[in-house]
Order: sequence, then C-alpha cells, then structure tokens
Amino acid sequence: MLTTVFSKTVLDRWRGVTITVVSLSLLLYFAMGVYRDLDLAIYTGLPASFKSLIGIPENADVGSLAYSAVYNSYGALAFSGLAIAMGAAFIAGEERKGTIGELLANPKSRTHIVVSKAGAMLLLLGLGGLLLWAAAVISPALLDVSIAGLHVGAFTLHLTVSTFFYGFLALAIGAWTGRTGMAIGIPAAVMVLSFFAVGLLPLVSGWEDVAKFFPWYYLGGSEPLLNGVDWAHVAILVGGSAVLFVLALVGVNRRDLRGRSTGVSLIDRARSNPMTAKLAERMAGSTRVSRIWVKSASEHQGLLLVVSAAMFFIMGVLMGPVYTAMDQTLVSMGDALPEALLALFGGGNTSTPEGFYQIENFGLMAPISIMVVTVTLGAKALAGEESDRTMGLLLAQPVSRSKVLAEKAFAMVLFGVIVGVVTFAGVLAGNALGDMGIDIGNIAATCVLLTLIGLLFGALALLTSAATGRLAAAVWVPVAAALVAHVANAMASLQDAAWGRLSPFHYYLGSDPLSNGMSWVDAAVLAAATVVILALAFPAFARRDLREQG
Amino acid sequence: MSGQAALRAEGLTKHYGDVKALVDVTLEVVPGEVYGFLGPNGAGKTTMIRTVMDEIRPTAGKAWILGLDCHRQSVGIRRHIGYLPSDLALYPNLTGKDTLTYFANLRGGVDWSRVGELAERLDAQLDKKVGDLSSGNRQKVGIIAAFMNEPELLIMDEPSSGLDPLVQREFQALMRESVEHGASVFLSSHTLSEVQRVADRVGVIRHGHLIAQETVASMRSKGIRSVEFDLGTPADAAQFEAVPGVRDVLVADRRVQLSYDGKMDDLLRMVTSNYEVLDIRSQEADLEEIFLTYYHDDQSTENVTT
Repeated sequence: MLTTVFSKTVLDRWRGVTITVVSLSLLLYFAMGVYRDLDLAIYTGLPASFKSLIGIPENADVGSLAYSAVYNSYGALAFSGLAIAMGAAFIAGEERKGTIGELLANPKSRTHIVVSKAGAMLLLLGLGGLLLWAAAVISPALLDVSIAGLHVGAFTLHLTVSTFFYGFLALAIGAWTGRTGMAIGIPAAVMVLSFFAVGLLPLVSGWEDVAKFFPWYYLGGSEPLLNGVDWAHVAILVGGSAVLFVLALVGVNRRDLRGRSTGVSLIDRARSNPMTAKLAERMAGSTRVSRIWVKSASEHQGLLLVVSAAMFFIMGVLMGPVYTAMDQTLVSMGDALPEALLALFGGGNTSTPEGFYQIENFGLMAPISIMVVTVTLGAKALAGEESDRTMGLLLAQPVSRSKVLAEKAFAMVLFGVIVGVVTFAGVLAGNALGDMGIDIGNIAATCVLLTLIGLLFGALALLTSAATGRLAAAVWVPVAAALVAHVANAMASLQDAAWGRLSPFHYYLGSDPLSNGMSWVDAAVLAAATVVILALAFPAFARRDLREQG
Repeated sequence: MSGQAALRAEGLTKHYGDVKALVDVTLEVVPGEVYGFLGPNGAGKTTMIRTVMDEIRPTAGKAWILGLDCHRQSVGIRRHIGYLPSDLALYPNLTGKDTLTYFANLRGGVDWSRVGELAERLDAQLDKKVGDLSSGNRQKVGIIAAFMNEPELLIMDEPSSGLDPLVQREFQALMRESVEHGASVFLSSHTLSEVQRVADRVGVIRHGHLIAQETVASMRSKGIRSVEFDLGTPADAAQFEAVPGVRDVLVADRRVQLSYDGKMDDLLRMVTSNYEVLDIRSQEADLEEIFLTYYHDDQSTENVTT
C-alpha cells in the first residue's frame, strides 16, 4: 500500500477524516433527534437578521435546523480545519520534519509530489463529503424526520468544495514558504475571520456585499439547502482552489527547500543585534531556560500572543462598536425570542449587549480560543517532548517525573489565565466603547468560568499526554470531548434535560453569568474536575515506560 | 562511594509483549573502569540503558547505580551521572549555550569554566541554534551536557556517531581522564575500534542476552590471529576452510585473508604443500574479528532469527 506518494498520503491521513466524519454524523443524528422532540413553533416568526446571525435558514424545520447547526458551523469549521492541517503538512510539514530531502531523493519531481498529495487530499475530503451526505440522508430516515424540499446533496457539495479551498490555500502557502506555521496560521485566520464576516456583515446596512469577498460566503450564502446547488458559487470555490493549486506547483518548484528548520523569532533577531543583545539576553536567553515551566511557556509565546490579540481586539474591543452599528431590528427583537432557542447559543437574551457578547464571543469562539491555547500546551508540553525524543535527556537531569509534569501543568494554567484576563480586558474595552453597560463584575465572572473550562480541557490534554505519551491522542481526545460536551449541553438545555449536567459546558454558561453574575457552585465544579483530572495525570505518568520513538 | 559498583544489574529483563528485548542480564561496572557494551543494532543495548535510566521499567530484575535503586532512587542517581542518549535529540530552537544553561539550572548550577574547556576541546559551537547544527556538532552539545557536572558515572549510548575522527579521539581522551579521576563509564557501541581503544572490559550483547563478558586484554589473548597470504597461483577457499580453526576466509585471486585460532604449523603445512607462498603477513586480530567470531558462533548454535 505504500507504493506511491498518493497511497502513502491517503494512508497517513484517513484516520483524521474518518474520526471527523463519524463524530459529525453522530452529532447530526443526535441533534436531529433532539430537534424532533421540540415544539418548532418557537422558530416561526424569527426576524431574518437574527437567523442570518446564527445561521438558521428561512422556514426552518427539524432537518434544516439540524443540518445548519451541526454541518454549517461545527462541521464546516472542523472539516476545513482538517483540510488546512493536511495542506500544511504536505510540503511545509515534510520540510520541518526534515523528510523532504529523502522523499525527493527518489526519482519523482516536486510537481509529481504536489500533484499526488493534492490528489490524495481531494480523494479524502471528497469521500468525507460523501459520507457526510450519507449521514445526512440516513439520520432523518432513521428518526422518521421529513426532509422534503431540502437539497441535502447540494448542501454537502457546497460544504465539501469549500473545504477544498482551505486545503489548497494551506498547500499553496506551505509550498511557497516552506513554513508550517504560516501554512496553518494564515488559512485558519482567513477561515475564522470570514466565518464572522459572513455572519455579521449582512446585518450592517450597506455592507452586505462585502461578505462576498470572504470564502465562507460561498459555503452557505446561496442557501444551497433550500435552493439547491448554486453553480456560480461552486465554480468560484473550485476556481479558487485550482488557482491555489497552480500557485503551489509554481511555488514549490521555484525555491530552495528548507532543511530541518528552526525559524527566526523576533527575540532571536534582538539577540543577534548588538544594540539590543543585552536586553534580549536578559529577557530571553538565560531566563527562558531558567525553569521547565518558563521554557514550555516561552515555546508557545507566539500562539499565546496571536490568540490573546484575537480575543482582545476582535472578540472583545471590536464587538462593542459592531454591536452599536448593527441593525436595530436585532436589538429590538430580543424579547420576542423564546428562551429555549437562545439556550442553544449559550443562553442569554439577544436583544441585550450581554446576549450579543454571549453569541458572538463567549458561546463558541472564546472557549475554542482558550482551548486552542490550553490543549496545545497540555499536549505539546508533555507528549510533544516525548514525540520529539527530548524527554529522555530532560529526565536524565535530577528532576522527578512529577516535577516535570507539575511545571508543565503550571505553564498550561498560566497561559489559560492569561487568555482569560486578556479576554476580560477586551470585553471591558468593547463594553465601554460601545457604551453597552454590561456589569463589570459579570464580565469578570464569565471570564473566570471561561478560564476554568479552558483549564479543564487543558488538564485533559495533560492527562492524555501523561498516560499515553502520544501527541495525536493528547490533541484529539480533549478536542473530541469538548465537541461532544458542547453539543450535548446545547441540546440538553433545549430539552431542559438533566443529563446536560454531565457536560462541563453546563457549568460554564448554564447560569448565564454575563447577566446574573458569578455562580460559585459552577466554578467550584469546574475547578474540582480540573484538579481531579490533573491529579490522575501524576500516577499515570509515573507508572509508564517512556516512548522510544516519536 | 568506593567499593560500591558504579552500575550493577541483576537478572535485568525487559519484554515488550512477545518481544524479549532484554533477557536476564547480570553485570557489574566497577569504579574506575570503562565498560564497553558491545552488540549489533537491535541487540538490546539501548533497552538496557533506558531501563537503568528509569525511562522504562524492567519486566524482572533490578539495577543499582552507585548503590542507589535505579527506580526508587532515580532522581538521586541523576545528580551523580552524565547521560548521552542514542540518536540524541535536543531542543532545535535553543542554542547550545541555552541548552546547557537549561540543564545546569535543573541541576542547580554548573562550573562554566569547565563547560568552556569542554567546548574548546571538542570545538563545539554553542552560540548557534541546535536545530541548525549538523548531527556531529549537535552530538558535541550532548557530550558537554554529559560531562559538565563531573559525574561519577557516565552512561553513553553510541556516543561517537557523527563525530569526525579528531573529535572522536578528543572525546575518548575525555573518557579516559574521567576514569583517571575515579569516575566510571558505561559505553554502548557497535564501533569496536572505539571500544578497543578506551574500554577496560567488554560485555557482548545479542538478542537481549549478555553472551560474553571479558577484559579487553584477555579477549585479545584469545590467540585469534589475522593472517594474509600472497600466493603464486589462484587460491581455493575450500582448501583453507578445511583447516580447523580457520574462519572468515576471503579470497581475491592470489590473495587470501583469514582469521585463525589454531596452531600456525597446521595452517602453514597445508598452504606450503599446495601453493607457492610469496608472502605471509600475520598479526594479532583486532576486537572486530574476535567479536565477529562470537557473532557467528552465536548464530550457528542458536540459529535465532531477528
């Protein structure tokens, strides 16, 4: 099976696609089951602007609600993320690992390799899309839900083609630069920015058409679920992918390949410049290796900086003026909305600034952002050191495994707290700029709960790292757990079901802290769960053989 | 810590599922010696080292370093040892200096003049990022990290990989100097010439079994000789192999190379009665040939497959 670059790439990558598709299918089935048992009268008469904001199509019924909620948000984000990871790993990833030289030592041209890998990506994403389509057809049949009038095929086609675009964007950037960080970061930023732009811009009068500049628009802008395939939109996505593919071919052929690269950070430049060398040395040189936790923290300072900046400026400060600039109908409609519907988006009342921040920031993006930081720290700091094979030398120093784990956990907690504090500062500023009048104590309470839920899943990443030493498991276990927990909580709160209490997210926004202030019980539950998970990590790490290979 | 073994293993065994990576290994490294741990790739050298370093836990058996239990007192042990793992991996984003500072901090300090001296002797570049160094230059950083704390026991897993011959010699000198100051070295290697040059005693491991343990001096005295003939007519390998004690016959037209551990008289009689002998060169076999002898014997008697 390892006969070609194509088949090896498929073999390397099919698991991630399968896991994503299977989880999304299960979530769809689950969501559809919950919606089926709800009184859908609550959805009639919702203002169009509100539906646009939360991505619910006109004339929503059980099927379209479930498809939109699961496939259009989680599904599209997860699937595009998967495509970005693939595209970035293909060229830039091999360069960073230092394997590209060996690969190209075989009588295969660079073009051949890019074509093979791109072909494998198309096959996997295409098959994934096909399976999502199958799940979208089978779920309603099993649940006896009518999907008459819904173009499920068109919907999944748009979804699949839109993920191609992000995959090829990552491939092209990786091929031109050879830098994995850029090849992941830029497409991910494009994805998240356009996700918001497409949700928000149509609500601001005069700016509706600007949304068309963002790729996310072509996923659902034409409402393919209701209107069928919009071939012009599909053509734009396919054409864009094709252009990026050509760019990737040109890019990879025209430059020098990078060796196992280390990259040059700002601090490195400062250290080599005689003017700043002394200061930089004091800040970065000997300081960053003074302790285990300091070193772990310094390795992820870039990630912290990016996420903090995004949380502060985009999710915090910017949302204030955006709220004031928004269509007044959004503000006035709030009281008419049923509570059960709002629960899905984290609760709260959309007519209020609190509700707006909840939907746009705290409901989904804030937990995702903080978890990106805490889970990355939890996984890379411990399992990453094992897969990089540096753990042996680290543990050859007179430090116990428990001390190593404790220091890595401290770095994770520190970063989670920083993201929480920065989010607080951002929302505080947005609150003041937009003159929104949210209670400062309530913002603080919400940010504390946000921090705690971030730490909980970061701790899960550490536990998985400690127990397995496998980087992939340490990333995927908490991500999958968070995804399931989030959907379960949303669905449970719709039904007022008691089993929602099993989801950590129940203890995050379940008490509507942005409106009601701190729930100390919820905070205690999250903190206790985090402590228990962390405590389990110590014996798990101490008992096990270290892994030899990465 | 005089009188106490620098490293002692008793019945050390490690199984990975059905794979027996290490089987009942018992050995002792006495203070002040270089113990060469020889074996082909995959023989269990690294498993042995990772077990005594408490990276992995033995299936059976125990080990002690400087009298301390390798598992229960591993943190204490690590204050007194220097370790160079096989296929060394370091933090690519740190410079050599940063890397050493990191380990020094974890150890509670280091004598930087010693680091400077080591760096000079090995010609190491400490101001460059480790990720940008060649594997040999990276290895030097690892060697300095192992030596910088004046350890009582050095555990080195394939330490010479990637080093050029000059640096190898310097590194071997460093090992000998440490031993002269009372330290011990546990040196895993498949580079026999290296072990021959620095080791006092050698243990040979194959398929997880310690199959032989001897001083380098007595190994040499086994009497195996390397013999080379230049003959007047093309040689027939079978004729040579028929002589008891002859091994590893290599025939290149009129030149014959072989190892021999019998009475020279028997061999010469066969050769002179069949061939015109133009030249004979005979010398004491090096460890490599002795080692290959063990290797072959082991393979033929046990008939193991890897």
